[in-house]
Amino acid sequence: MAWDRSSRPAGGRGTTVDRTDPRRNGRRSDGDRETGAGTETPASEFRGEELVVGYPSADEPVIDGESLRVPPGEVTALVGPNGSGKSTLLKGLADQLGLDAGRVLLDGADVQSLEAKELARKLGLLSQENTSPESVPVEKLVEHGRYPHRGFFDGLSAADREAIDRAISLAGVEHLRGREVGSLSGGQKQLVWIAMILAQETDVLLLDEPTTFLDLHHQLEVMGIVETLRDDSDVTVVLVLHDIDQAARYADHVVALKDGAIYARGPPEEVVTEGLLAEVFEIDAEVELTERGPRIVPLRPRHGNVTAERGEPPGPEQ
Amino acid sequence: MAGEPVTDTSTTSRREQWFGWFDGSLFTLCLGSLVIVIAGGLIQVSFGAFSMTILEAWQAVFNPEVILNRRAWEAFLLGGEVPEMNKRSLIVWNIRLPRVFVGILVGMNLAVSGAIFQAVTRNELASPFILGVSSGAGLTILLTLVVFSGLTAFLPLIASVGGAVAFLIVYAIAWKNGTSPVRLVLAGVIVGTVFGSLQTAFFFFADDIGVVQSAIAWTTGSLTGTDWEQVRMALPWTVVAMLLALVSSRQLNVLLLGESTAQSLGMSVEKVRFALSGVAVLAAAASIAVAGIVGFVGLIVPHMVRSVVGSDYKKLVIGCLFAGPALMVAADVGARLALNPVQIPVGIVTGLVGGPYFLYLMRKQQTMGEI
Repeated sequence: MAWDRSSRPAGGRGTTVDRTDPRRNGRRSDGDRETGAGTETPASEFRGEELVVGYPSADEPVIDGESLRVPPGEVTALVGPNGSGKSTLLKGLADQLGLDAGRVLLDGADVQSLEAKELARKLGLLSQENTSPESVPVEKLVEHGRYPHRGFFDGLSAADREAIDRAISLAGVEHLRGREVGSLSGGQKQLVWIAMILAQETDVLLLDEPTTFLDLHHQLEVMGIVETLRDDSDVTVVLVLHDIDQAARYADHVVALKDGAIYARGPPEEVVTEGLLAEVFEIDAEVELTERGPRIVPLRPRHGNVTAERGEPPGPEQ
Repeated sequence: MAGEPVTDTSTTSRREQWFGWFDGSLFTLCLGSLVIVIAGGLIQVSFGAFSMTILEAWQAVFNPEVILNRRAWEAFLLGGEVPEMNKRSLIVWNIRLPRVFVGILVGMNLAVSGAIFQAVTRNELASPFILGVSSGAGLTILLTLVVFSGLTAFLPLIASVGGAVAFLIVYAIAWKNGTSPVRLVLAGVIVGTVFGSLQTAFFFFADDIGVVQSAIAWTTGSLTGTDWEQVRMALPWTVVAMLLALVSSRQLNVLLLGESTAQSLGMSVEKVRFALSGVAVLAAAASIAVAGIVGFVGLIVPHMVRSVVGSDYKKLVIGCLFAGPALMVAADVGARLALNPVQIPVGIVTGLVGGPYFLYLMRKQQTMGEI
C-alpha cells in the first residue's frame, strides 16, 4: 500500500510552511535537468516534440508545432482560457487524437509505435466526460482499469485485485465500493473514475479538467489524490486545470497556453503573474505570493484597449 | 482530504456476495426461462394432428430406448437412418422435438446477437438486424425464390450469406478513418432502405401465390417444417457464436464505457467492434438459415434480461441464452397451435407478444433504453 493516503507524512504542499522545503527543491532541480531521472528516480520520461494536433473536421490545426517536456515524477498543469488548446494538447499527448506532425515520446519510445495495451499500461487518461451504464457497481468499474494488464481469457489475478484495492483506497472511495455508479453524485463519480485509471497503474497520468463541475469538497479530494501521487510515487501527472489558483497551488510546473501556442512555462511563481493573467486570460488580477504558492484575486475582465483607456493598468497597486 | 471511514472487515465478504456474478436475479431468470421452455416443449410435443396426453408425451420424450440409444442420437445429430421405436416416440422425437430444439437455438442466437449489437452500436434500439443483415437476407431470399428458383435448395445458405454481405456493405459505407456507432446505424438504415425497396419490387413480380407465401414465411420467420436437419445446420455455428459471446463479455462491458475510455484502456476499438459484430452476424445468420428473419426477439430479449440482471454483459449474455429460447418456444406454441390446423409464421407471434411486453417495460421503467 505504497499510496495509502492515511499513512502519508504530513509534508505535502498544503501543510508545508516554507516554500524552500529542501526535499521539494531537490526534486524540482532534479526534474529541471534535461535527463531528469538522475540515478535513482525511475519516473517516466514523457515529452512531445513539434506537435501539430487538430480535429479531422477542421482544416487548421489547434496546436501548431509545440514541444513539451514533462518533468518526470512531478505534476504539470496546463492552463489557459477556453479554446486555448489545453485539452487538445492533452489528447494529442495521449494518442487519442492523431498527430498531424511531431511525435510523443514515452521513455524514448514513440507512443504511436506502441501496441494499444502496452501504451495503456504506461499512460492513463481521464477524459473530461465519462459515461457508464447506471447499474455498474463501483468495484466493477474500477476493475476495468485492469483491462490493459489482462489477456483475452485472463481472469482477475491476485495482482489485479491488489491494484484495485490500492486504487480504491487511494481515491478514497472504499465506502462506495458496493454502490451502483448511477446512484453516485457527480463528485463521487469523478473519484470513482479516477480510481479506475489509478488501477491501470501507469507511469504517466493525464487528467483532463478533473475538477471542473465539482463542489469544493470533491475538488480538494481530487487534488489531494494528485498531491499523494506526487509525494508518494513516481507517477508523472499532467493535468488540464480551469482553475488557475489550483494550478498555482498544486502543480510543480505550469504551462500556459494561448491560441494553441505555449505562452509560458515554469514553476508557478514564475508563470502565474499579473502580466500573464492580463495577456493570456485577459483579466486584471492581483497575485499574492503565499506559502501555498501564488494566490490570484481576479478583479475584472480586460477588453483590449478599452481598459487601458479607462486608465486602469494592471498593476500591483491597491 | 479523504477523511472517509475506512473499510470494516465485513465489506469484503459482502463484496464477494455482491459481485458473485451468478446472483439471485440471474438464477431466477434462468430457472423461469427453463420452466417456460420445458412447458412449451411439452405442449408442442403433445398437441397436433396426432394428439396425446401430457403424460404420454412425457413418456415418449423420456423413452429410454431413444435417450440411451447411441444410434438414435447419431441419426439425429449426424444424419442417417432413424432406428426402430414406438409410434409416439417416433412422432415426438422425429417430428415435434426438433422444432422445439430449432426454436431454442434460434432464440439463443437472436437474443445474444441483439445484445452484442446493442453494445457495439451503444444504441438501445439495436437488434440483430440493425446493420443490414435482415435486408440483405430478405433480398437474397426474394431473389432466389422469384428469379433463381433453381437454387431454392440452397436458400438457407444463400440467405445467411446475403445477410453477411449486407453487413459488410454497411461497414464499408460507415468506414471513414474508422467507424462510429452513429455512422454504423445510419449506414444500416441506408442499406436497409435500398434493399427493402428491391425486396418489395421482387414481391411485386412474384406471380405465384405459393412463392409469395414461401417468401413471407422466410422474411417474417417460421419454424414450420423444421427438422433434425435444421438442428444439424444451426448447432455448430450456435455453439461457436455463443462461446465467443461469453468470452467476449468483458470486451462488451468496456465498449459500453465509450470509445475514448475504451481506447485509453488499451482496447483496439475498431478491431474489437468489427470482431464482435462478426460474432453477432454469425449468430443472426445461423438463425436466418433455419428459421428465416424472426423479428423482435433480438430487440426485446436483451431488454427484458437487462431489466432483471442489470447491464453486466456476463450476466446479460447468460440470461439471453435462457430467455431467448423461452420467448421463441412460447411464441412457436402460439404459431403452431393458435389457429390449428393453420400454422402462422412465428415472427408474427413474436411481434404480437413482444410489442405489448416492450410497451409494458417502457411504461414501468424510468430508465428504459439505457444500456
